[in-house]
Amino acid sequence: MAKLDPVKKSSPLLIAAAWIIVIVPTAWGLNYTVKNAMKLFSAPTPAAAAPAK
Amino acid sequence: MALAFLDRDRSIAPAGYSRWLVPPAALAIHLSIGQVYAFSVFKNPLLALHGADGSAWNLKQVGYIFSIAIAFLGISAALFGAWLEKAGPRRAMFYAAICFGLGFVVASFGASSHQLWLIYLGYGVIGGMGLGLGYISPVSTLIKWFPDRPGLATGLAIMGFGGGAMIGGPLANNLMAYFKSAGRPSIPNTMITMGILYFIFMMFGVFTIRVPQDGWKPEGWMPSTKHSALISSHNVAVHEAWKTPQFWLLWVMLFVNVTAGIGILEQAAPMIQDLFKGDVSPVAAVGFVGLLSIFNMAGRFFWASTSDFIGRKGTYFIFFTLGAILYFFLPFTRQDKLNSVPLFVGIAAVVLSMYGGGFATIPAYLKDLFGGFNVSAIHGRLLTAWSMAGIIGPLIVNGILDHYVENKLAKEDAYPLILHIMCGLLVVGFLANLMVRPIAEKFWLKDKNIVVPVGAAH
Repeated sequence: MAKLDPVKKSSPLLIAAAWIIVIVPTAWGLNYTVKNAMKLFSAPTPAAAAPAK
Repeated sequence: MALAFLDRDRSIAPAGYSRWLVPPAALAIHLSIGQVYAFSVFKNPLLALHGADGSAWNLKQVGYIFSIAIAFLGISAALFGAWLEKAGPRRAMFYAAICFGLGFVVASFGASSHQLWLIYLGYGVIGGMGLGLGYISPVSTLIKWFPDRPGLATGLAIMGFGGGAMIGGPLANNLMAYFKSAGRPSIPNTMITMGILYFIFMMFGVFTIRVPQDGWKPEGWMPSTKHSALISSHNVAVHEAWKTPQFWLLWVMLFVNVTAGIGILEQAAPMIQDLFKGDVSPVAAVGFVGLLSIFNMAGRFFWASTSDFIGRKGTYFIFFTLGAILYFFLPFTRQDKLNSVPLFVGIAAVVLSMYGGGFATIPAYLKDLFGGFNVSAIHGRLLTAWSMAGIIGPLIVNGILDHYVENKLAKEDAYPLILHIMCGLLVVGFLANLMVRPIAEKFWLKDKNIVVPVGAAH
């Protein structure tokens, strides 16, 4: 009986790498935004708290 | 031909190709083009530029850059949607990457030579075409790969568009700070750098995207025989789709949902400060905008995924009932009523999650009604509702605010009117959703009418 060629499946490492490529910049941006959003819940501070330009 | 690798035939997935490689490809495109939501970071630096004759641009002139980009998003999505169905997602993504990257480069020349028309042409027209092509290019491919969870798949990609601002904003700020400290013109260098970076990132999507082989389906998955009457087992071609009342009902639904969202997004920072005078600092208001962007992004994934379980009509039913109630109630949280900042923030966050959810769920709704055959092209035409909302929404908000300011009325009293108008618009959306029925048989695509033999089913 003829032996069927096994189907070559995508490597889990390749899949993980593809996701890492998009997750890393997203996580960086999310971290920046969450830090910014937290200012909403901190007590109002004088103008000195404004970020340096 | 050198670009033959972009052909649809060359991007058909081999057997064993994991479908989980496709969402990152789509995300690479959407995370990049979503940068448009962060365009405001360039506003003040552009206003500070001066030409050789000492002239400077005003806020209105700079504001047109974003408007042109969004207008061309809708126009190009509508114009090129049908072409995309034939050419395949890889070619469309490639051209999207070229347009988006080139748009930055052309705009950078405009900034360095202080010629606004070059920025309009670059970021607005060329970049806007990249936005439109990029936005719709992965949609039907994802739906094909995830016939069992179309909402989840499109939600993942369109979530990227919401998240793009979270990357684009800080990236631009950091690059401008770097070039400024290095003594080099900050805006032109930042724009060129971003154009190159985004082009490379989008190329990852171009080379990773694959279309499934004809007849492919997930292992072990059998299409359900018991489903809602609104989930069609027939296809409708794009030139027929827009003759159906369903297309226009969905157009109205997207239009009112986006217009209502813009009612908050457009004025988020000043609104919270005006409604809670003295309680919310400018820095905290920026934090509020950041929080809204997180909920806008998360809502795209959450609501689109949820729609796989409760149905698209059910999901929009929630948007238009809960949304209308929340828009009506929102002004009552202000300082002279309930005086609750957390309640205001909480309601606004839920509302913005539904704004994002409206964007992300619409492709799956289209697929349910019109089938997967031309879903990208139909989606492209539907996005003209977004362009229209991008014009009408700010007109309503700014028109009412200007009226109050010009007549020396209390500005905070304008917000209840704005939000209650948005509430009324959502009621219109509710009625439109209620009227959605299955597509009449006369619009179904008959096999003999298929004139697009290759790429038709991607």
